Amino acid sequence: MTKPRIVAIDDEAEFIDILQNYFSLREYEIHVATRGTKGIELVKEKKPDVVLMDLKMPGIDGDEVLKLLKSMDPSPKVIFITAYDDGGKTKARLLKMGAYACLDKPISSLRALEDTINEAVQL
Amino acid sequence: MNIFSFFGLTICLTTLSLAILIFKFGNLKNTSHRTLLLLNLALVVWGFGCMMVGFSKNPAESLFWWKIAHVGGVFTVCFILENVLAVTETKRTGFLFFAYAQATLFQVLSVANLLQVRMLYVYNSFYYIVPDGVGYPIFTFCFLLVCYYSAVILFNAFIHSQGQRRLQLKFHLIAFLFGIVGGTAHFFTVYNPNIFPYGSLLIPGFPLLATYAILKHKLLDIEVVIKKTLVFAGLFVATYAVFAFFAFLGQIFFERLVTSNRWVSMLPSVFVVTFMLRPLENFLINVTNKYLFQKKYDYKELLKTFTSEVLTVLDLDKLVNLTIDKLADIIKLNSCAVLLFDDEKQQFRVVASNNIKDSSVTLAKPDSIVTFLEQTHGYLLRKELIEKKVFIPGTIQEIIDKLRSELIIPMVLHEKVIGVLSLGKKKSDEDYTQDDLDILLPLARTLAIAISNAELFEELSKTQAEAAQREKMAVIGTLSAGINHEICNPLGIARGQCEAFLLNIKDGLYKDKTTEELLRKAEEIMSKVIKETDRATAITKKLSGFAKPAKGEAEHVDISKEIDEVFGLVGYELRLEKIDFDKQVAAGLPKLFVDRKQFQEVLFNLMRNAGQAIGEKGRITVSARQDGGKVVIDIEDTGSGIPQDKIKELFNPFFTTKEPGKGTGLGLFIVRQVVEKNGGRIYLKKTMVGQGTTFTVEFPETAQPAALTVKA
Repeated sequence: MTKPRIVAIDDEAEFIDILQNYFSLREYEIHVATRGTKGIELVKEKKPDVVLMDLKMPGIDGDEVLKLLKSMDPSPKVIFITAYDDGGKTKARLLKMGAYACLDKPISSLRALEDTINEAVQL
Repeated sequence: MNIFSFFGLTICLTTLSLAILIFKFGNLKNTSHRTLLLLNLALVVWGFGCMMVGFSKNPAESLFWWKIAHVGGVFTVCFILENVLAVTETKRTGFLFFAYAQATLFQVLSVANLLQVRMLYVYNSFYYIVPDGVGYPIFTFCFLLVCYYSAVILFNAFIHSQGQRRLQLKFHLIAFLFGIVGGTAHFFTVYNPNIFPYGSLLIPGFPLLATYAILKHKLLDIEVVIKKTLVFAGLFVATYAVFAFFAFLGQIFFERLVTSNRWVSMLPSVFVVTFMLRPLENFLINVTNKYLFQKKYDYKELLKTFTSEVLTVLDLDKLVNLTIDKLADIIKLNSCAVLLFDDEKQQFRVVASNNIKDSSVTLAKPDSIVTFLEQTHGYLLRKELIEKKVFIPGTIQEIIDKLRSELIIPMVLHEKVIGVLSLGKKKSDEDYTQDDLDILLPLARTLAIAISNAELFEELSKTQAEAAQREKMAVIGTLSAGINHEICNPLGIARGQCEAFLLNIKDGLYKDKTTEELLRKAEEIMSKVIKETDRATAITKKLSGFAKPAKGEAEHVDISKEIDEVFGLVGYELRLEKIDFDKQVAAGLPKLFVDRKQFQEVLFNLMRNAGQAIGEKGRITVSARQDGGKVVIDIEDTGSGIPQDKIKELFNPFFTTKEPGKGTGLGLFIVRQVVEKNGGRIYLKKTMVGQGTTFTVEFPETAQPAALTVKA
């Protein structure tokens, strides 16, 4: 089974760094961006299976991006990773809109994230 | 001893006392004090010379002493002129030079015997100097010219003066009157030996009054010092006179009766002096009290000072201390104290005092002294109790002693004794009169109202400070999303770095790496972890620092640094909402002297309000610049603006346009209070619905905020 292709978008370069190191060592194809607009272009170009992204980033609005990604064909699975917390309201809305998962930052473990990604593509 | 010698001695002693007084209490760097000291010293020489003239037995001896006397005498006008110039702040360098030049020339001529004078035996008792050519008349003219010219300068200054200064110059002018009459008296006798130089006795009046006028406002108790000096001089002169009188009597009678023994003739004088000293001292004290310090204190001044300066003070600490200072100053008290009731400890304790023995003294509620004051609402006058032979219990006596009380007045408000005013002895040793009580009792009642006002005000500011703190905490609560991000991100990264390393080992991904490579990898990870945890620590520190209540201590604060600091707290939230932030701080801006934390609170509130007014997408510009002695900070946003009808309510408490839960409405209300407490002011500079709002905060460049203490 081929490993899923990933695009990760987060304005925290250090976090992106960890993801890139972790997944590329495990032979995933991973592309990263620290700016929202660049990330969307990357998604359009690479057509990933999974998109990991922060919910709140300068120049990015979670709802709009999700809509955009959902309208793409093939549409990638979207996993939000964010420290933003408004009592779960935004999370619930995004899940309802079709996001695969919303994970809290700091993520409980990289292994768990890897599992979530694999589960997402198997669906 | 003839009367002329006595005059000389009097002049010598009074001016010597004054010279010592100025030397001890005056400020010799001050020209007016220094010239006054010189004037007194010159008069000491004059007085001593005159005394010796009186004692002289032949023309040659008297001429010698006249020369000595003139050494001091001729320079008096120079010192007077210089003193007047200093006091009136006038410049007459040329004339001053003339004054010194003529005096020096006279001195030279006098020593060289070129002055053309001769000695005339007058009143069958002493030799007086009389002119025998034009030398002395020319000198007389110069002397009086300098003297009257000084008087004119002084009179001019007096006419153009006001208030306190006018009073000081008035004293100076009166002093001059004494000086001119006294000084001229000498010349009357010179040119007409039939006029006895009685006027000379007025001479000490000049330095006496001038010293009084100049030192009065520097030296509070100068009157008392002068009084004691006068009493001392009087006693000395009287004792001296008694000895002289009996020595004289002894010479006449005893020597004839008994074989001449000087010591025997001294005996009666010792006897008389011993018995007369104490009553004489009392007499002199009474006389000086009665005639010199009859005014006692000015009731009007007391009332004026209290109504205009003291009773309006809202700072409790300042109020009681000012009360003590002004009472002690105006009534001239040896000691006084204010005791206030401490609700917690249920006792009166000293909150401000001046010269009392033990400021830790307390009056408990059940103390008989308190019961007495509470029941009667009246005063307690020690002297009256003693006169009426009222028994004073030991405990009360102890309190009276510790407070050095002479008069205790309760401060009553709404039938409740809220405090006690304790007044000590007056410096003049006078008793409290009914007049005093008529003014002091109502004063104490008014003071009670003022104190109660200040207490309430203090309570109110405390409540307001608490409200400010609550508001801050509420705001921090709503900030939590941003703060959470700022803390969790670095922690997540730290965690991720470690976990990735461990998992890589576990999954066997590092199998082909050498130990050295692994160590380098570990090193890299650890330094990243440290960097991220430091980041998290910094933000929590910033937050907890901001959350702590401000202490109200002013310090020098760098505006630019504080803007950055506050931006660190609100910045993330602004970035999320796509709000750009722009800081424009002019170079070389002076530091503000404010409470750092309160200043941060102001910036925080205004920046956050600006952010909320924008909502999403926009720009906040914080700019600071100098503008004519002020530092002006503008906080400008491109937000929704404030509708015209809301502008008036802007700074009112609980006014808010925010959604419920987003703000308590205390923000701007508290911001304004905090700004004003720090000596600044805040206002709405401009606003336009749909375009944005600018708030301006101004602080004086250097002024120290009165409501804050200075941080050491």
